[in-house]
Amino acid sequence: MSTTYVQTAVDPADEADRPDSDRSRAENSLARKLVAPALVLMLLVTAFPMLRALYLSLFNYSLTDPDAREFVGLANYATALSDSLFWRDTFNTVGIMIITVAVELVIGFAFAMVMHKVIFARGVIRTSILIPYGVITVVSGFAWQFAFSNTNGFVNSWLPFTPDDFNWFGQYWSSMLAIMASEIWKTTPFMSLLLLAGLAQVSEDMLEAAKVDGATWWQRLYKVILPNMRAAIMVAVLFRALDAYRIFDNIFVMTAGANNTESISFLTYRQVIEQFQLGIGSALSVLLFLSVLVVAFVIVKLFRVNLADARQES
Amino acid sequence: MSVLAACGGDSGKPKLNWYINPDGQDTLTSVAKRCSTDDYDIQIQLLPSSATDQRTQLARRLAAEDSSTDLMSLDPVFIPEFANAKWLAPFTGDLAAKVLDDDVLKGPSEIVQWEDQVVAAPQWSNTQVLWYRKSLAEAAGLDMNKPVTWNQVIDAAADHDGTVGVQANKYEAYVVWINSLIQGAGGDILDPATVEDGRDAKVTIDSAAGEDAAKVIEKLAKSKAKQPDFTTSNEGTSLGLMFPDKGAGEFMTNWTFVYKNYEGLIGKPGGPKDKAQFEDLGWARYPETVEGKESKPPLGGIAIGVGAFSKHRDFAQQAAACVTDPEAQAALAVSDGLMPSRQSVYDSEELKKAYPPDLLTLFSQSIDSAGARPKSAFYSQISSALQSRWHSPNSVNAGTPKKSADFLNQILEGKALL
Amino acid sequence: MGKSLKGNIGTLLGCALILIWCLLPVVWIISLSFKSQQAVTNGSPGFFPSSGGGAGWSNYSDVLQDEQFRRAIINSIGISLIATALSVIIATLAAYAIARLEFKGKKFVLTTALVIAMFPVVSLVGPLFDMWRTFGIYDTWLGLIIPYMSFTLPLAIWTLSAFFREIPWEMEQAAQVDGATSWQAFRKVIVPLAAPGVFTAAILTFFFAWNDFVFGISLTSTERARPIPAALSFFVGADPFNRPASLLAAGAVVATVPIVVLVLFFQRKIVAGLTAGAVKG
Repeated sequence: MSTTYVQTAVDPADEADRPDSDRSRAENSLARKLVAPALVLMLLVTAFPMLRALYLSLFNYSLTDPDAREFVGLANYATALSDSLFWRDTFNTVGIMIITVAVELVIGFAFAMVMHKVIFARGVIRTSILIPYGVITVVSGFAWQFAFSNTNGFVNSWLPFTPDDFNWFGQYWSSMLAIMASEIWKTTPFMSLLLLAGLAQVSEDMLEAAKVDGATWWQRLYKVILPNMRAAIMVAVLFRALDAYRIFDNIFVMTAGANNTESISFLTYRQVIEQFQLGIGSALSVLLFLSVLVVAFVIVKLFRVNLADARQES
Repeated sequence: MSVLAACGGDSGKPKLNWYINPDGQDTLTSVAKRCSTDDYDIQIQLLPSSATDQRTQLARRLAAEDSSTDLMSLDPVFIPEFANAKWLAPFTGDLAAKVLDDDVLKGPSEIVQWEDQVVAAPQWSNTQVLWYRKSLAEAAGLDMNKPVTWNQVIDAAADHDGTVGVQANKYEAYVVWINSLIQGAGGDILDPATVEDGRDAKVTIDSAAGEDAAKVIEKLAKSKAKQPDFTTSNEGTSLGLMFPDKGAGEFMTNWTFVYKNYEGLIGKPGGPKDKAQFEDLGWARYPETVEGKESKPPLGGIAIGVGAFSKHRDFAQQAAACVTDPEAQAALAVSDGLMPSRQSVYDSEELKKAYPPDLLTLFSQSIDSAGARPKSAFYSQISSALQSRWHSPNSVNAGTPKKSADFLNQILEGKALL
Repeated sequence: MGKSLKGNIGTLLGCALILIWCLLPVVWIISLSFKSQQAVTNGSPGFFPSSGGGAGWSNYSDVLQDEQFRRAIINSIGISLIATALSVIIATLAAYAIARLEFKGKKFVLTTALVIAMFPVVSLVGPLFDMWRTFGIYDTWLGLIIPYMSFTLPLAIWTLSAFFREIPWEMEQAAQVDGATSWQAFRKVIVPLAAPGVFTAAILTFFFAWNDFVFGISLTSTERARPIPAALSFFVGADPFNRPASLLAAGAVVATVPIVVLVLFFQRKIVAGLTAGAVKG
């Protein structure tokens, strides 16, 4: 709470730092009262449990053997980080994230272009694009699992080069493909809606000008549309990437982690909920949280995402 | 009780919640009705179908010290873990003598005891036998009146257009198979003298017996007799290959429900064509791992435990004694193919009407001499560790026992992730 | 002219592709729900039920007669509605402050909301389970409502503050000058303007709660509080060894109906809400 009297260019967000007037003081206290419940709730369910996880992660502690709880320091972290399973699951998760987001970006962009151009039947298109977004992830997982099933599905008979009794869930690569299919199907529409909002920001005048200058369609895309949509694309990528990194539901119902198709979330869940190893499970929880921060940081730095856009500070 | 939780109390009579696994739901519902008294009503609650899910649902409630978990149908392998965590209320005095007397077969009676206390009441017992087509065995020239070995069975099926049905998906029943193979060769996954010491148990899977077991799995994996979905096979997948449209049928190790299952499918898809084909179904003792060493059939089933935090512990224990009485056991056997854990029920008229006498004898002898899976409070980790190193069965070789022993040691020490 | 025709045909094709993409899996799951359980057990590949392998409505009646599933529907509806109502009320207060007032800590609130929106929920199940069993709210409605509220707040706050920025608040003063009391001015002028935003936030919040799976399986263990997605994943059929695919499909269709109804009625609002928080409006 330091007040500097050095004159600097005042950013509107720092307006509240000016010497208090009665009005701004009243405004401040009212605003605090208004945001308090939301803030308390958000922190109660996240920050507080995370601290508890941090504490528990220092113990060797199993729910089924509560008397044997002992302090082990950072041993759980050493165990997790030196275990090949942890790294394999991290590899899976990052792989799923990169592939699904890349595919969604391309298809989602194509969908957005189509929706941007469509004049007729907007309601129909909008309704159908929202259905995958609204469908429960578990249901999407089941739908695709049964679609790929060799006993009751249709994918084998529709695809030209797979034998009809090909078991998609029999090996790693095909299982991963099936999981990614369900993920991509469900979230591409969401991506396309975000990109559609970005497309609306691109000024028609500039596009017209480029057309008059004889730019081809590709040139217009690269030189005009994409640069002007940068912010929207980056926000969409950031949100989807972090969402994909947390993938859990469809893996749970489709493969339950068989054939090494575990994600890092699924690994954590199994340690905590199925094996009751609260010690090592909490260590994994902390590592999962840290890895999400790392992923977010990398994306923000790599693509120079302006988070103010996401937070909408005009 | 949260204010928001729906309250269903319509009378002052306490309700006892009985969490059952989905086997024999209808019979259990009528048993629950019969065992309800003027003091309490027994209400059935259904658990998920996979053993892993059943365990997590129950254990989470018990860890939360839930007072409405009264009776639980427990798979034998959960019992040490739950008892060790002090989640099961031990039976004492007359009730203990009632649920566990001399009439109970040896296999199930060993399972329900932990640290010299009776922690659950045996309800029904399960074991596996070798189911086969008599015509197939005859064609292969196997004398089924004498004990047969896994080698003989695999060769007979491979050479005569048959298959061998097992459970080799990555789940609990695969461990059942591995455990029986090892015990049949005279070995154990964990040293029985130290198995109850939890994390300090001695791992003994890396032995000659372990290698004998690996040999059998490897032989089947490389054999023509292997079924197409071998690596994802479960109790249900191989049923359809006993009476296939093409081929000579199969040899299959599977639980006791198989007889009633085929009897109900005569003339239907997946079952025998007609009564005559059903007559071609044969059964014999679980195959030997090593020639000349008596096989150790698997042991499964259900025992009824009472939650340590139950509001009505005494009522729940009385109820547990009632739902495991001979009458209930006979009903489960006759209508659902779930075999009794008491010898006297095998000798009852009802069962003799429902099953061929030699099959009944085979069941009770198999259960009496069955081999249990390791009786450890850390069984679920042990089982997962085995699954991770022995699956896929196509990759099992002479090095597998050692690999799994190293991993088991690491898991028990808490030095590796599962 | 020829160019624009080509463009039109391309657009049409694109529309068709979008429709197929979005609806094919939904049609598939509906189709699967009409396959008979017998056919599914014996294997019935193909998109539509094979001849003689149809089940009519029997899967639906089986699912709706299933006590566990019925209770899961009630749980899901109850928990989602309560969580939505509470979350929207709390978010409205916060969004009003963010949109209209200048105060210290605004950045902190927004950053917190952003972090929570990206939070890996699985890392909370261990400590939350441990806390909930201590408080005695494990496996209760309340035990799910609290996390649902916390995790939907960011979305609701964003959506609402985007809407509130657009409202011409000076109209309130104008109405008061015209002689209305401040309550009347608020009710007659502001409420109608703010309602669409609140409504959008409510729908999106409801979607989240309805869709949640992680909390649903880890903080419940019986029908007392188990929501639909969790109930579906533990669904037990008559055949203990195989997942009852067609029954599950029927259950999935039933669980999807409320979502489809909401989408049909409010698609315009949902799109506005989804895109409001993402790009500078």
